[in-house]
Amino acid sequence: MKPAFLALFAALAVAAAAHAESPQDIVAKADEVRNPGKPFRTTDTLTEYVSGKPRAEDTLIVFSKVDPATRQFRNLVHYVAPPRDEGKMVLLDGHVLWFYDPSSKASVRISPQQRLIGQAAIGDVLTVNLAIDYTAALVGTEAIEDAARQKRTCWHLDMKAANDQATYSRVEAWIEQGTYYPIKLKVYSDSGRLLKILYYRSFEDRLGGTRPGEAVIIDAVDSSLVTTVRFGDSQFQDIPEAWFQRDYLPRVPVE
Amino acid sequence: MLRAAPLALAASLAATAAFADENSDLNLIPEAAQPSAPAPPPAAAASVNGRVYLEDTGTLNSVRDNLPVAAPPPSTADWQERLFLDAREQWSLGQGVSLAYSGRMNFQATDRIDLPTHENVRHDFREGFLTWTPTSGWFFDFGRINLKSGVAAGYNPTDFFKTHAVVEPISLDPAVLREDRLGTAMARASYVGAGVSATAAFAPEFERESPLFTTTNLPSFDPMFNRTNAHPRMLLKGSADLGADIAPELLVYREGADTEYGANLTHGVGQKTVIYGEWAGGNGTSLIDQALGYGRATGTIPGSAPSVLPESHAKTFRNEAAIGASYATEYNITFNLEYHFDGEGFSHQDWRNWFTLGQRRANIPGVAPQLWYIRGYALDVQQPLARQSAFLRFDWVDAFVPKLELTGFVDIDLFDGSQLTQLTADYYLTNYWTVGMIASTNLGSRRSEYGSLPQAESLLFKIARYF
Repeated sequence: MKPAFLALFAALAVAAAAHAESPQDIVAKADEVRNPGKPFRTTDTLTEYVSGKPRAEDTLIVFSKVDPATRQFRNLVHYVAPPRDEGKMVLLDGHVLWFYDPSSKASVRISPQQRLIGQAAIGDVLTVNLAIDYTAALVGTEAIEDAARQKRTCWHLDMKAANDQATYSRVEAWIEQGTYYPIKLKVYSDSGRLLKILYYRSFEDRLGGTRPGEAVIIDAVDSSLVTTVRFGDSQFQDIPEAWFQRDYLPRVPVE
Repeated sequence: MLRAAPLALAASLAATAAFADENSDLNLIPEAAQPSAPAPPPAAAASVNGRVYLEDTGTLNSVRDNLPVAAPPPSTADWQERLFLDAREQWSLGQGVSLAYSGRMNFQATDRIDLPTHENVRHDFREGFLTWTPTSGWFFDFGRINLKSGVAAGYNPTDFFKTHAVVEPISLDPAVLREDRLGTAMARASYVGAGVSATAAFAPEFERESPLFTTTNLPSFDPMFNRTNAHPRMLLKGSADLGADIAPELLVYREGADTEYGANLTHGVGQKTVIYGEWAGGNGTSLIDQALGYGRATGTIPGSAPSVLPESHAKTFRNEAAIGASYATEYNITFNLEYHFDGEGFSHQDWRNWFTLGQRRANIPGVAPQLWYIRGYALDVQQPLARQSAFLRFDWVDAFVPKLELTGFVDIDLFDGSQLTQLTADYYLTNYWTVGMIASTNLGSRRSEYGSLPQAESLLFKIARYF
């Protein structure tokens, strides 16, 4: 009798929370699970699998800091591996992206679409607050399995791009009720094509909270391509404003 | 009530089926990609800013016969084999000081040079400089530095330090030409703050101008400062973020007694497009005058030799510009389309003169070499010969199969329609090995810019090992 009462109480509490929060609030709280508000850096290891076998590994250091004017993150990405790409950098500041190659000493302006190029795309490691770039609508409550095949009761949200800085045109998200853990995302192109399916997993203590330690990205266009992203070596770090300048790219002191 | 129950049951079953479908995505995650133990912090790398690789290339060239204007020696090699070790590294020395080196050690053999000779071995000293950062945002550099400017992909009028700097490129792709070029010995001060940046650079003159090098007379272990520091040069440039994605960069460049001005601007349009423009202008002479003047100053062309093409030593304000756009598709392909204008380049009349005089006076000693010298000079200073040209480039990542990257470009002379085309394929076998090939062709009629070149096609195979 007692467990049943507790279960009923928990269900009511979740239902009440759902009524109290707008879909946008839910996405914002899930953003807080994924990313802290303070500037930080992570070392992301991307492992690409082709037909089930590991094919390549990239290592990127990502520096992220919220722009107080937009509340969106600005990002600096530094390539550590593979060796042929070592030292290359990408700067994302709002709508503006620059790619810097130390071999040619050239900074090239790139479009937001170019974030999505390649199996291990830069767009997959950029720190983004979804609540800023998307308008969410609640589809319903669904129980789905997470990446470890554990049942999770989630809000199913349908998000449409709210500005031209959004990486994708549309995102479907499954966010666990109560914890606000992001469990699963589906991202779509402008033409409505399902591009990727993303699972967050290995929740762990990181950057002052319980956050996903890994993401699994399934290429929906060619499902033989799967990429895992390990968010490692996370630490808070002061990041000067000047770092988010094109001319600072050759100067960023990465150690 | 009785009717509602089956409906509710059906809805419940449908929802269950939908969730089951949602869960079926998990079947796509391979066993090998199951959760890993938290990764230990990466081992402290000696450097995360350097790159070292060993590359071997083999090139086959096909050469045209019966050129409208006979090309002087050395003729294009039929084949070339080249092995090089390329290194770029940066070390922190403490106290805000760091040291950077960039260079390439080449071993080569062709059917145009004897083996073994000093021509088989060459070191390209691209960069070597100290950086001092006394306080955040301020940087002082001293040494040989590759100072690059410009936002266009095919031609950079504001890249003032590009002249005479490229040594035997592997590829004709402008993006690659920027990689293997010599820096200039200079002192440079830079400030980068929030929304603003400024750079001042001064390169002293301490060498005499060298004659244009050919593929058979490059020195082996000479830093070749005579290519980069034969005149005092100064550059001031700055940019400011004005908001609304407008952050122009303005430049003032002075070489010897001549001053040029420049500007760069980019702007994003939607998710997929970036538009950009680059301009430089200043008082100067035509490319023909510059080439012949350089030839006389360096002794390649006798001072008493008359000009084959009409010269005008009058300096007038001349413009150079590159405007274009990049467009990225959903299918991993990025296109760049550009229009190039070189106010110092060949006019229609210049081209007519070049071909007509080259054919009519072919039997007069020195005529053909002087005509070809002008073209060689333009290549050496990386300036388009054509006054107007169009440039289209594409880059396709994961083309057809993962890890295959295709890059191609076509440079079109808008006067005669002739084209330089190149297709590059790189296949990233592993994180450490890359194989690839480069095919290039010069297309056009015999009396056209690219159709008149000795080299018709070339095919290069390469394999690279990264460390």
